[in-house]
Amino acid sequence: MMKIDKLSCSFVGKEILHDISLEIAEHITILGANGSGKSTLAKAICGLVEYEGNIEIDTHNVKYLTLKARAKLLTYIPAKLEVYDPYITVFEFVLLGRFVYKKSFFDYANRDKIIAKETLNLLGLAHLKEHSLSSLSSGEAQLVMIAQAIAQQSKIIIFDEPTANLDPKNTKIIAQRIKALKEYHKVVLITHDLHLARFINSPIAFIKEKKLLYFKEGFFKEENLQKLYDVTFDSMVVKYD
Amino acid sequence: MIKLLVWSFFIAVFLVSPFFGAVNLTLHDIFNSNSMSANIFYSLRLPRELFALLSGAILALSGLLFQTLFRNALMTPYTLGISSGAVLGAGVAIKLGVGVIVFGVSGVTVFGFAGALLSVFLLIYLAQFLKSSQHESILLLGIALSLFYTSALMILFYLGSSIQNDILIRFTMGSLSIVGWKSPVLLSVVTLFLFIIMYFYRYELQLLSISNESAQLKGVDTKKVTLILLVVSSLAIGVLVSISGPIGFVGLVVPHMVAKLYPSTVEKRLLKTALFGGLFLVFCDTISRVLQTQSELPIGIITALIGGPFFIYLIIHRTAK
Repeated sequence: MMKIDKLSCSFVGKEILHDISLEIAEHITILGANGSGKSTLAKAICGLVEYEGNIEIDTHNVKYLTLKARAKLLTYIPAKLEVYDPYITVFEFVLLGRFVYKKSFFDYANRDKIIAKETLNLLGLAHLKEHSLSSLSSGEAQLVMIAQAIAQQSKIIIFDEPTANLDPKNTKIIAQRIKALKEYHKVVLITHDLHLARFINSPIAFIKEKKLLYFKEGFFKEENLQKLYDVTFDSMVVKYD
Repeated sequence: MIKLLVWSFFIAVFLVSPFFGAVNLTLHDIFNSNSMSANIFYSLRLPRELFALLSGAILALSGLLFQTLFRNALMTPYTLGISSGAVLGAGVAIKLGVGVIVFGVSGVTVFGFAGALLSVFLLIYLAQFLKSSQHESILLLGIALSLFYTSALMILFYLGSSIQNDILIRFTMGSLSIVGWKSPVLLSVVTLFLFIIMYFYRYELQLLSISNESAQLKGVDTKKVTLILLVVSSLAIGVLVSISGPIGFVGLVVPHMVAKLYPSTVEKRLLKTALFGGLFLVFCDTISRVLQTQSELPIGIITALIGGPFFIYLIIHRTAK
């Protein structure tokens, strides 16, 4: 259960979000135009940007949690995997998801290594185990980031435009993965992709002019979409099932 | 195969290095404890070799650290002006004629350390005002500061007496010629400290080598860890530079060489980088002693001669990618 209370957020002196309040029981999909502040909202939840107001998760105020406690509670998956170190392998990267459970100074415990390995097996990535991250395709990279998030075992997983760089085939793979994750995690999905949002089937929060419009259902009605996006939609629907 | 060759070559150089120099020694000489040769071997060559080994380790480790923390292949204490800050500090001590201060640590060392630390803090302070978080801007900032310190040193130079200037010039060229065991012992403590701290934070470094954001999301207090590592490495660089003067290129070149030899994550390269850096500097030092010149060549000239072409290769390789 996440409660956002009177959240305002600025970036380089410009106010992006103004006085937003929202209660999320389980999952949510956040939509909005480019630059409307979707990513900023996600980053505020993760504590990566400063904000006014409060964000509570299960009665914990996120502001006052230690970084480790926060990492156990939520994890964030960026749109694109960016890595400076060209040599880190897929397995090592997924293992980093276990960092928060590792004792300082010591190496990763066997249990952590087993979890990382099993997560790779689960997602069908075992064959990439020893590959370097820089050799992955965009679709594989997105799956590997999901694997790391699963290994981290945090309650909430935030996806920031997970399919922005993907072709329809890979989008389908990721879409199914995200839907499956809803069973064990609370999923916050930020996206532009209306087909994906419809497939994931969570309540919708639409950010418009620094404010938030909440739709438990009925978001995808044609007249509603026309009003929000100012374009005409025809009936084409991409199916990810 | 190439790894075996490189390491065997370096170890061979390491073993024979103390026997070569202005006076060449034999095994027989060093066992004759009363001879002049034994004296040269035990109070000049051996401490100098240890000093070179430790200096190389500090420079290479700091280079690796800066490159990882800032995620940029060109970041080193040298390119970011930390070395120049230390040189300026040491220069001020030479100009003021500061003698021994505490626990036998010389004023030049204390001032050198202070110079390094102040330049790190100035860099961090100024970096806050950068609009973009691009690390290229920090690099530019470091280069600007470095030029500023060098100019300040030039002013000291014009204010100094000819004796002071002689010391200053010799100092800014970088040299490993030391006498006795005091400096190597001091430096071994510093090197060990730097290595232990870096080893302690090895997995934090691994996370930081991906991105600052990802480290934070995994629960790393990135500000604290970065600050601790920068301060410890500036301490090491400050102490080193105040004794030897600035030695360029080792910090830049060695971490990349080791990464090419051992393509693995940063935490697996710590010890190898330290050893490689140390042995590389012993090799450069041996060349500087063996070359028949009027007087001994400053070590900075040799490292730059070898490091320079590699630097160019690195830049071209990076742009080509």
